[in-house]
Amino acid sequence: MEENNIILKIKSLSKYFGALKAVDDVSFEVKKGEIVGLIGPNGAGKTTVTNLVNGTYFKTTGKVFFKNSDVSDLKPYQIARMGLTRTYQVVKPLMGMTVEENVLVGSLFGRGNRSRDMNNATKRAREILKLVGLEKIKDSSVSGITLPDLKKMEFARVLAMEPEVVFLDEVMAGLNPTEVEEASVLVKKVRKEKDLTIVYIEHIMKAVMGISDRIVVLHHGKKIVEGTPQKVINDQAVIEAYLGKRYAKEVNNEG
Amino acid sequence: MGLQMLVNAILLGGLYALMGIGFSLQWGISGIINLSYGAMVMLGSYISLEFFNFFHIDPFISMIMSGAILFVLGAVIYRGLLQPFLKGGIVFTLILTFAIRLIIENIILKVWSADYRTIRLTYAGSNFQFGDAYVPLIKFLSFIVAGIIIYLTYLFMMKTKTGKGIQAVALDKEGAQAVGIHVEKMYMINFALGTALAGLTGSLWASIYSFSPHLIGIIVGKVFIIAILGGLGNIWGAAAGGLLLGFAEVAGATFLGSQWQEAIGMVIMVIVLLWRPYGLMGKKFFG
Amino acid sequence: MLNNKKINIFLLIIALGVFIFLPRFLSGYWVRVITTIFMYAVIAQGMNLMSGYMGYLPFGNAMFFGIGAYATAIGMSKGLPFLLVVPLAAITAILFSILLGLPVLRLRGHYFAIATIGMSGAILSVVQNATEITGGAMGTTLPIIDKAPGVVYNYFYLAMLALMVISSLSLHFIIKSKFGFGIRSIKANEEAANSMGINTTYHKVIAWAISALFTSIAGALYAYWMSFIGPDEVFDVMIAVNTIVIMLIGGAGSILGPIIGAFIIELLAEVAWSAFLEYHLAVLGIIIIVIVIFVPKGMVGSISDFTKKRKLRAEKKVTI
Repeated sequence: MEENNIILKIKSLSKYFGALKAVDDVSFEVKKGEIVGLIGPNGAGKTTVTNLVNGTYFKTTGKVFFKNSDVSDLKPYQIARMGLTRTYQVVKPLMGMTVEENVLVGSLFGRGNRSRDMNNATKRAREILKLVGLEKIKDSSVSGITLPDLKKMEFARVLAMEPEVVFLDEVMAGLNPTEVEEASVLVKKVRKEKDLTIVYIEHIMKAVMGISDRIVVLHHGKKIVEGTPQKVINDQAVIEAYLGKRYAKEVNNEG
Repeated sequence: MGLQMLVNAILLGGLYALMGIGFSLQWGISGIINLSYGAMVMLGSYISLEFFNFFHIDPFISMIMSGAILFVLGAVIYRGLLQPFLKGGIVFTLILTFAIRLIIENIILKVWSADYRTIRLTYAGSNFQFGDAYVPLIKFLSFIVAGIIIYLTYLFMMKTKTGKGIQAVALDKEGAQAVGIHVEKMYMINFALGTALAGLTGSLWASIYSFSPHLIGIIVGKVFIIAILGGLGNIWGAAAGGLLLGFAEVAGATFLGSQWQEAIGMVIMVIVLLWRPYGLMGKKFFG
Repeated sequence: MLNNKKINIFLLIIALGVFIFLPRFLSGYWVRVITTIFMYAVIAQGMNLMSGYMGYLPFGNAMFFGIGAYATAIGMSKGLPFLLVVPLAAITAILFSILLGLPVLRLRGHYFAIATIGMSGAILSVVQNATEITGGAMGTTLPIIDKAPGVVYNYFYLAMLALMVISSLSLHFIIKSKFGFGIRSIKANEEAANSMGINTTYHKVIAWAISALFTSIAGALYAYWMSFIGPDEVFDVMIAVNTIVIMLIGGAGSILGPIIGAFIIELLAEVAWSAFLEYHLAVLGIIIIVIVIFVPKGMVGSISDFTKKRKLRAEKKVTI
């Protein structure tokens, strides 16, 4: 049945900062196993939606359902433990700790570790590190590693939590084209192996087109279009949002 | 009795208001919890004492010297000792300002001893009547002067280039830097302004009350309360906080007995911290 | 410290042995001084957990010292034996830490530090004024132990030593545990910690309770040792200041740091007091400034930096 397949349901989500409507009545659903691209120009509200879903922000209105439970009022740590996780656009490494320790924290406090067993958690952390290719620098302090490695580590940290849904917030920001390609390959590989559902947040269209099953487009806090990559890329409103009305008119007149 | 109490509270509150603003500015804008603030207030008192004893200059006039000396001292301390260690976090600057307090306190003890000192003004006993209440002349004068200084500080912040620079830095450090404002210089001037206000307060204090190094810790306690009540970095908030503390102390002393005067302030501070951590005014910056 | 774990343990056991037998060779005065050092090390460990490892500085933590001392005094005045009163005093302090902690630990950084100063001041005022229960500003007495002074000093020396060892060891195991990782994550990046499934409020409250536990027992021992305590003495802000300086000089965020720091500071204070009586405040102030400028990571941090650099240089030589 359709119901059982929907792992995340966002309903009429809004966040007002005073008069500023950062997110305005956004609704969409995510099916288990999908990669849903969440795109929109800078300031569209993508990260705000992420913060609302994972409990970091209080919701002005709206509800979030995860695996058919209402998680709208839960705290971030509770939502994380249920298997709904996120990475950060500006990476937030745990400073003062090593790469392995960072991933270990995810392993200890995420969904997978019911017991307090340090040994099992450490083993799992090391497996994840190998999976993403960071095992060589596992003992390095996070203050000395490169940006692509920091992003891999943040991804590893989230994977160590044994999540079911991951919000990847602009993972590609700051990476060069080779690194972007590497990252895409890694995400696809991990998604398959770990049976993940991914919400892929980006403001660069190209990065997200090749990887998403469906796309949701935000603009000025509102959802303007939802559908397959093909449908979205040809949508008038989307072109206007990214390139402006004048360009959109030109494109229309030409084709 | 009600009117007298009101008069006492307002007069005391005005002095507290001036006292608290300097500390609040240092904490809210320069980001430094200045544990030596009490010692700086007392330095202002002792400077006026010396001017009075040696040159027979009235504290209302010598306060200009107190303010100037403490301004320079504040700038030197900030630039030399605090600015290099801001990145160490709250523990470092807290303990550094405490060390400065110890040094200043020791100097005061050595030069003037721990005895309570007073400045005996010829017009010390005069007062006038306001309805049923007696208003001591000196306290009234201090209140007026304090009010003028507070207003001048406000004008400085709002109308002068430097003042606006300080505000800009407080609101958005990166933005201010981007338009060419010298951020560190603003922090320093702000800090020095704070110590200057401490010195001015000390002179006013000396004209009314007796003073000794014993008061150093107590003053720090009071300015904490005032800053928290008013919201850090907020001039009018600190002024309101000072008035509120004045009211609380006078009411506490009248109704509960003088030993509760200090405790009342502490209790109020804790309540405010739990209920409205950003101060009664609600926001972290100038209203 | 040194890189071989077994050597470390061996050295620590030798140090412990030395401490246990030291009183035989020292005068009563020095036994008391070292007992005070042990006591400060315990208080510093309590602060170390909160500030060094978790990043929340409880400036007013000495309030638990005072609570421990007064709870002991009150308990013993009702006729209860010391060994029964100590756990009661600890429980009282823990209850305070939870009641006060729950609302206050959600305030970040500066506010938490200041709130604890306010609480400490408020509790001091209450103790000063509740004369019937606490003896008020005049202080209160505890039963005097009916033994020779030398014997009494040794008892408390060993008791404080035991407390220091137990609290340090406990801290060591706590930090290595899952809970310890939670604590360190809060300092590292509290928002990320929350999103990784760490219940930060729970960690903060429990950490403060543990801190209160150690600190209050130190206070309880102190009260019984002195036989007389006053509010200004056990709620003194200088206790907090000393503790912070000890953490700074010894190195926060390490287990041995507070112990080393306590030794250095107390011995320095002894020197400053006897040599510079009139200037001891200023000298202490200057010492603090010198420490902050020249040894910002504390002794333990600086030594570990030094050995790391030496190791790196050695490795570089090999690869080249």
